[in-house]
Amino acid sequence: MIEADGVTCRFGGAAGGAEGDAGVVAVDDVTLSVADGEFLVVAGANGSGKTTLVRSFNGLVTPDAGTVSVNGTPVSDDLVAARSAVGMVFQDPRDQLVAATVGADVAFGPENLGCSHAEIDRRVEDALAAVNMAGRGDDRIAGLSGGERERVAIAGALAMEPDHLVLDEPFTGLDEPARRSVLDRLRELHAAGTSVIAVTHDLRDVLGLADRVVGLSAGRVAVDDAPRAAAEKLPGLDVRVPASFDFGETGGPTGREPGEPSEHETGGPTDQ
Amino acid sequence: MTLSYVPGDSLAHRLDPRSKLLVQAGFAAAAYAYTTPRGLAALTLLAVACLFLAGGGPRDLWTYRAAFPVLLLAPLIAGATLGAPWFRVERAAATGLASYRVLLILVVAAGYVRSTPVRDSRAAIQRAIPGRPGQFLGVGVALVFRFLPLLRRDLLTAREAVRARGGGTLPVRERMRLVAVAGLNRAFGRADRLGTALNARCFAWNPTLPRLALGPADLPALAVGGGLAAAAVATVV
Repeated sequence: MIEADGVTCRFGGAAGGAEGDAGVVAVDDVTLSVADGEFLVVAGANGSGKTTLVRSFNGLVTPDAGTVSVNGTPVSDDLVAARSAVGMVFQDPRDQLVAATVGADVAFGPENLGCSHAEIDRRVEDALAAVNMAGRGDDRIAGLSGGERERVAIAGALAMEPDHLVLDEPFTGLDEPARRSVLDRLRELHAAGTSVIAVTHDLRDVLGLADRVVGLSAGRVAVDDAPRAAAEKLPGLDVRVPASFDFGETGGPTGREPGEPSEHETGGPTDQ
Repeated sequence: MTLSYVPGDSLAHRLDPRSKLLVQAGFAAAAYAYTTPRGLAALTLLAVACLFLAGGGPRDLWTYRAAFPVLLLAPLIAGATLGAPWFRVERAAATGLASYRVLLILVVAAGYVRSTPVRDSRAAIQRAIPGRPGQFLGVGVALVFRFLPLLRRDLLTAREAVRARGGGTLPVRERMRLVAVAGLNRAFGRADRLGTALNARCFAWNPTLPRLALGPADLPALAVGGGLAAAAVATVV
């Protein structure tokens, strides 16, 4: 479980927050928890603080105030444990891929964790299978499509065997087949028990998978609800939501393939 | 195209990276010890063999195109004089041979790079140089191989962005300034993002390194590398 308690992150400004130069508050007193196995969508417009917030989950960003704990241990106490437990997939996979071949890149995390060679091989094999790229360990990353790179980036995070997988704008720049492929992989991972945290300003793809939606505005939690209730409030946050969605009794969307646009799907909040 | 590791099953791919490093070091030493045309002719054959045994070819040398003008101009500048006779052939020839030696070393290096995964290079360096110095050097090599192609791509993108908005008509100096400033900004951003990505995946100074094992195929390579180094030392002693 990830627990953020009163997290505030500030960028820039004078040291010590001198008067008149407090910098930009990216995340402002956010308290939330993410349960094991949950599919959480963190939504918000550009600059709403969603990326900064999720980066605090594994210590890539250190909060100026508040605490983040992963599985009961404060992140600052054990960064390696936090980063093993919370896998991160960046918005641009090119920022994340550190090797020339698929297998070498996926192995990078387990190697850093000091796993044995047999364990590294197993993790690489499992992670590549999970993203439907089994047997492609020798492929050159430079020759992969955008969707394949995204899947390799996910495999790289999965090879750390995290309890939670954070994906920052996972569908940006992907064409339709690549988007569907990534969605399929996320659905399978979630079904297998991995907690997924998807950060996005466009909920059309992920609303169908979400258990809960948190909407951020100016660094604060403005919405924290089940998908049905959240979908009614989110347009005010300048995020893109489907105009109509077939929700089931539980408040979660059902009946239609996640990511599949409805007949009434809109191009943005102004169309609501 | 940027020179980088290319998966394959060539003889060079099957060699232990330590053998290949020894061949490289021995070759560089021999190239600086044997400066006669005859010696360089023999080394040329060896350099070409190294590249072909790594599954490479002339296309791989295109990566070095930025160095070619320097290597070509160096003999001309060395031979030129401010007064009569205006050009000294013997000076130009000596510098030309030096330039050629550099080219040969680059050819052998191309064979190494295309046949050796970066993490294998890191492992070879860390095992050859124990302790912190080896770790530092190994990580440095790994990061350079990772970072340089990205940096080069960023510079190309910056140049295209300048051209796309009519910058192609600007004076060369102004274009160079624009590309340099944009490239520098991108390099800092790239370094920042790469650092974050390494942190996210628990970057460690002492990770589990790939298995390295010297096999029968390494014996000829070790002999060639050792022989070249010995031959170079023999010229000094």
